[in-house]
Amino acid sequence: MEVFERIELRRFVGRELLLWLWFESEVFEGTLATKPHGSFGLWLEGRLVLSAGQEVTTIKGTIPGQHREAKEALLRGKMPDLASLHISWADHDATLTLKAETLAISGLKLPRKEPDAAPTGEGTTAPPRRAPRRRAAPAEAAAELAAHEANEDLYERMRVTREIEGIVEALYRDFLALRLGPAWSELVMPALEAWTLGEDVDSDDYGTARTKALAAAGKGSPRK
Amino acid sequence: MPALRGSLTYSRFFIDTEQGEVPDDFREKYMRAIRLRAMKPLEAHDDDLERCGWCKLAEPFELELHYDDVFCNEYVALGFRTDRWQIPGPMLKARVREAEAAYLEKKGREKLGRKERTELKESVARKLRKETAPQTRMVDLVWSMNEGIVRFFSHADKAAGNMTELFHKTFGLRLVAEAPYTLATRLGLTKPQEAAWQEIEISVLAKEAS
Repeated sequence: MEVFERIELRRFVGRELLLWLWFESEVFEGTLATKPHGSFGLWLEGRLVLSAGQEVTTIKGTIPGQHREAKEALLRGKMPDLASLHISWADHDATLTLKAETLAISGLKLPRKEPDAAPTGEGTTAPPRRAPRRRAAPAEAAAELAAHEANEDLYERMRVTREIEGIVEALYRDFLALRLGPAWSELVMPALEAWTLGEDVDSDDYGTARTKALAAAGKGSPRK
Repeated sequence: MPALRGSLTYSRFFIDTEQGEVPDDFREKYMRAIRLRAMKPLEAHDDDLERCGWCKLAEPFELELHYDDVFCNEYVALGFRTDRWQIPGPMLKARVREAEAAYLEKKGREKLGRKERTELKESVARKLRKETAPQTRMVDLVWSMNEGIVRFFSHADKAAGNMTELFHKTFGLRLVAEAPYTLATRLGLTKPQEAAWQEIEISVLAKEAS
């Protein structure tokens, strides 16, 4: 299979990622965990779009995944196209919409900027500093200050964006470990089917089996 | 689409390192290359109907780019500006009709040749361009050099296509759009996972399919 085919013929994996995030956020009542991040909040909030071919179902609401039409759409063969997510971690809250087939992000609302917040992101360095110029004219000084502030804003916004992307990527890594191993057909699919039909999924049993499966795949993420 | 304010909407592209790498003295080289590809605004007499170029991040009319405008620690920040002539179709049609009528009257003829018609239309369009301004659009772009990822603050396919072309011309690097497979490979697939990726099929939950 050519690289092009591995990309184009497997875009549905993005839809399954959204389905899995939706499922796990419900089973674990909005508290997920990954190895690098520990526990954090994640749930569907705002918008959920499902489709199969030309047929599209759009659900809007506080918790769109819990609308009756959502699971009915799954039973009719539709899969998530995009989902709005709320992520809550380390005193921060952010919302974003994730597009399944491109993993593109829209409407990412970053947490409010905290005064004096020190950057802590991995792999980042200190915000840019510019050497003060001697005797700058007032207009020049104002322009320089504005440019400096814009640089700091950009730096901070990118730092938080990368932090959020890091959470999504860690979840995707766990998803892949399950999806590309025996756990998908043995554990996840039966649980997904039961959940779609409105049956109870024992979160402890599922969580324990999931942890084992991730450990077996060598990419374990401890559940609480 | 702004990177500096409001909510963020963007697509990710990553640098295809098999097609080229960032040189050691990239700052000087890239600054020269960026200035060379800075936006040259469309003029009415230009043949181009659309043109793209770099501008300062968030400042579509700031075309004189300085080092501090572009480099911000590990980030390269640019605006991707596109100018396009967009003359309303009905207006162009009406003016062409007028011009054709005037031309025929002047020549004392009843019909126009195909070449004459094309030339007249082009001449009218040129005149109309002098009366209007081209439509200007700008999309912010932030290249995180540590990660080898470009965040392009738009989801529009056409803009992304034009941007990747200009990016390649400017930096000599190819960009690949993010997709489930590309992210999976960047996160690191094991050999069995890579093999499984080729075999996987869509999971079916539908119970009502007949």
